[in-house]
Amino acid sequence: MLMFVVRRLLASIPVLIGITAILFVMLNVVPGDPVALMMKEHASPDVIARVRAQMHLDDPIIVRYFSFLWNALQGNMGISIKLNRPVTNLIAGAFPNTLMLAAAAALVSWVIGIPAGIISAVRRDTVVDHLFMGFSLVGVSMPIFWSALLFQYVFAMQLKWLPVAGFYGPKYLILPAIVLGWSSAGVIARLTRSSLLEVMRHDYIRTARAKGLREGLVITRHALKNAMIPVVTIMAIQVASLLSGAVITEAIFGIPGVGRISVDAIQSRDMPLLQGSVLFATVLVILGNLVADILYSVLDPRIRSQMRKGGAS
Amino acid sequence: MTTPKFKLLLATALTSMLLLSPAMAETLRISYSGDPKTADAQMTSDSYTLPLNIFDRLVEAETTGPGVSALVPGLAETWGVSADGLTYTFHIRQGVKFHDGAELTADDVVYTFDRMLNPATKALGTDILTFIAGAQDRLDGKAETVSGLKATDTYTVEITLTQPYAAFLALLASPQASIYNRAFTEKAGDQFGLTPETTNGTGPFILSSYTLNESEELKANDTYFRGRPKLDGLQIRVVSDNETLRLLFESGEIDVFDLDYAPSAAPYFYGSDQWKDQIRSGPRVGIYYYNINQAKKPFDDVRVRKAFQMSIDRQTILDKNYYGRGKLEDGVLPRGLACYTPSTPIEYNPEKAKALLAEAGYPDGVEINLEQASSWSSQWSDMYQIIQAQVAAAGFKATIITTDEAAFLAARKAGETNAYTQVWSADFNDPDNFFYTFFSESGSKVRAYNNNDPEVFAQIEKARGMTDPEARCKLYQDLATRVVGEDAAWVPLFSLDHSYVVQPRVKNFVVPWNGWSDMSYYNVDIE
Repeated sequence: MLMFVVRRLLASIPVLIGITAILFVMLNVVPGDPVALMMKEHASPDVIARVRAQMHLDDPIIVRYFSFLWNALQGNMGISIKLNRPVTNLIAGAFPNTLMLAAAAALVSWVIGIPAGIISAVRRDTVVDHLFMGFSLVGVSMPIFWSALLFQYVFAMQLKWLPVAGFYGPKYLILPAIVLGWSSAGVIARLTRSSLLEVMRHDYIRTARAKGLREGLVITRHALKNAMIPVVTIMAIQVASLLSGAVITEAIFGIPGVGRISVDAIQSRDMPLLQGSVLFATVLVILGNLVADILYSVLDPRIRSQMRKGGAS
Repeated sequence: MTTPKFKLLLATALTSMLLLSPAMAETLRISYSGDPKTADAQMTSDSYTLPLNIFDRLVEAETTGPGVSALVPGLAETWGVSADGLTYTFHIRQGVKFHDGAELTADDVVYTFDRMLNPATKALGTDILTFIAGAQDRLDGKAETVSGLKATDTYTVEITLTQPYAAFLALLASPQASIYNRAFTEKAGDQFGLTPETTNGTGPFILSSYTLNESEELKANDTYFRGRPKLDGLQIRVVSDNETLRLLFESGEIDVFDLDYAPSAAPYFYGSDQWKDQIRSGPRVGIYYYNINQAKKPFDDVRVRKAFQMSIDRQTILDKNYYGRGKLEDGVLPRGLACYTPSTPIEYNPEKAKALLAEAGYPDGVEINLEQASSWSSQWSDMYQIIQAQVAAAGFKATIITTDEAAFLAARKAGETNAYTQVWSADFNDPDNFFYTFFSESGSKVRAYNNNDPEVFAQIEKARGMTDPEARCKLYQDLATRVVGEDAAWVPLFSLDHSYVVQPRVKNFVVPWNGWSDMSYYNVDIE
């Protein structure tokens, strides 16, 4: 297992370097000057030229790239051009907020999605099944900006149960977590249902029933573990995605998270901040996939055995 | 990212969530659509609410009426100008204290302006000081000090210019000219303005909290030299979504709703029994305009430019898209600005425009692009579609090109744009702020007008140094006639009112003279 993890981490290094190179090239090809963007309508050619020279933005691209890479390898992601703060500090400051939102949204998603999927599978083609699947379909289909507005209007404006937006206490997380979690719960519920239905068709489930086991035990002890394998994959990837920053949710609810920093970096062509944000998101996705694979091995002894033999997953 | 640091940040975030309340008592809660990034006025070009409340300037532009301002003493109690218009002598108020208790002296003024001109600072607002003798050498790194800046004694500053500049005093009232304390600012280094611990001014409010992309909090300065503000504090929340902002305001979580952020909500508030009496409006000393790039066909022909002017029904746009809340403009200067006089109205005549196009060699019409940025107001986007339809009657086959702002600015810089709309509100109350910005040699190029008229360039430079106010204003009037009437270098549209909705508990809220969203809240009170 340890060798597997080490191999996967080592394999991710060229991926990360490749991504920085691609991003660097793209940002130099795509039109946009970060200094001109800072000055906007107060743009003065002399000031722009001077500040660009002072920030070494006109140095050769190769020089800038390797300078960035060398610093990045030492943990220094540079200074944000627009925000004039160390990139690592900006991401480290925003990430805890995103982490809280992601954790809350994931909790909502799993607490709603998994039981809904199980019940739907067990009560297949009943009213309950249709109700839960309809609920999950709405969650998957409804754009987040629309459901956010709806929730704000109903629960904050009309009922005054919760605040409209902001990030000043635990109750400020409730609405955004529900908005984000509902969307993810829909996916989890549908996948859990279909995966459980697939597993329950297998012979060993029939054998378990034939042995006289209660249906509840058949599902929880025999069927669920195998049915959760693909669900766990999606859950891990969803968490990684949430941790990269739910941009729209953060913007609507005023949560100062990683997503907003990333979008800001793109719009202002802030190379150091964008590099840092993308690298950070890439690391999270790599880790998310790694965690999914490890969980696979926990759930499925066949995969665990393969990993021990050194086979690729 | 080290593990202990991350744990500390996570704990801080959790603790602040549990302990922080959204606002103190008697705190005015306002909002910004984006984070101001810094309180350092020298390092920003579009977010001045923090500098206007944390710092002061030598002189201030006080709002004396709707769209009207007067220069009043700020940190300078009195001042004088030499007969040749080159030397300004400012007598600094004695006993003014910075937030850290240090006393303001003339040396702080010298330091502040030198800091802006020091190339190591990478300041963005250097244009306001380039008239000072020695400023260019300092900017170019050829000098260690600015020869035109002198503290002649503890409370007297002498500033010498390279040439007379009529707008110099007005410039010193702009937020970029905020005054800092030497010792504190030097110690804070490049962190100045980024955190409460590294921000220090003389202003009515003190920065007490700064959470990037979330909020800033300011508390009242009890020892402010003009007297403690009536408010206990200001809370500035960063709210990027317009609908969220409206909900926050209507649920009472925000005290001031700037209708510039959500202009489509204006009819709702104006028609609401609950809110119509809570609207505070003022003219904006600013002008909406359509840029025309003469370096690109077909706008290299003055007949085509005049046709474009005549094919836009500005009154209809004002009435339908902006609910009639403004006035048409026909020149370069907006109402309320020094030297403003009405210009000859631009006729709306699509038939005549069509004839002009035909005369210019486009009897079957001509294709043009109207460029816009996706991040601009949706009302502007609507206006583009209206104009696209209007100019079609004259034969302009307009294609609306939408890009992100970075791509738009890059295209403009490369001179690739055809025509775009923008707005310019007065930074300071002087015609130079408009003429130089748009029609000087550098302004015309950087804003892609390319109105390459050497005589206009020369006249604009000449006007900067004129000391006879009447002659100066006459020169600007003649320039407006030439630039707009004869050369059709741009299409002036209108100046709009700036409207805010305030909670009933908010008192003494006055729209600033220039209609900016950024303002000082010193005089505002809460019931």
